[in-house]
Amino acid sequence: MIRLVRSTIIDAPTDEVWALLRDFNGHDQWHPAVGKSAIERGQSSDKVGCVRHFFLRNGAELREQLLTLSDLEQSFSYCLLDTPVPLFNYVAHVRLAPVTDGNRTFWDWRCSFSTRKGEEAEMARMVGEDIYDAGFVAIRNRLSASAGLEGRA
Amino acid sequence: MARVYVSSVINSRSDRVWQRVRDFNGLPSWHPGIAESRIENGEPSDKIGCVRDFRLRNGDRIREKLLGLSDFDLFCTYSILESPMGVENYVATLRLTPITDGDRTFAEWTAEFDCVPEREAELVSNIGGGVFQGGFDALKRQFGG
Repeated sequence: MIRLVRSTIIDAPTDEVWALLRDFNGHDQWHPAVGKSAIERGQSSDKVGCVRHFFLRNGAELREQLLTLSDLEQSFSYCLLDTPVPLFNYVAHVRLAPVTDGNRTFWDWRCSFSTRKGEEAEMARMVGEDIYDAGFVAIRNRLSASAGLEGRA
Repeated sequence: MARVYVSSVINSRSDRVWQRVRDFNGLPSWHPGIAESRIENGEPSDKIGCVRDFRLRNGDRIREKLLGLSDFDLFCTYSILESPMGVENYVATLRLTPITDGDRTFAEWTAEFDCVPEREAELVSNIGGGVFQGGFDALKRQFGG
């Protein structure tokens, strides 16, 4: 079992970060690795148990299921159902917490999974860098861009 | 039930910050509000259930009991046994979480307690703004930001 943790500080209040992350189907709007995404069976993206069916920009087709969603804790969990890469028993948790000292956001993104022997390092790198770190950068850029627009208005 | 939540970013790795705050008898070495502290009955300060008897710089004396301590999850939970603050059922937790992006530490300090309604705002402000934020400000200074 591989455990992976990535965390960062975003220079915006948690409510602004949560507004972007809360939509389980919204990752195609902000994550650079994600192409189009849809929730199966026409369900709402905040219905626990819903499944998002999406494509990465490299063409990979994935399905992930929402396991937990909390507006109180500003957190959600999900697992992979189908993927072309060898990620088995993949469960991920996203959690936001306010940095009260500065009105910023602590964002913790972690997962556990298993994979084929010999592919541990590459799978950990792919998830940690291509998905989590790239997601941090995308949200940070998006929020600083919208703050810039407000500043000009 | 009143709640206090204060959190901050300390500019050092969480294992180093943990070394500083882990000692349940170590408040005087890092918290500017605490003058002296001892553990009752000569017990080690990481023995769950031990009691610290300490004095603030303003002279107040407080006794607190260690309820939980984790070197794995980096948290410490304790309750107040005796204090002049006028709180009941007071339980607090100090928790550190690594910020992998930059080797920093996310520090959270929470408390829950009961008190008379007219004193709640003042107590929340003193505990959160005074004791907890005062501790974080000191750690930020000690760890260079």
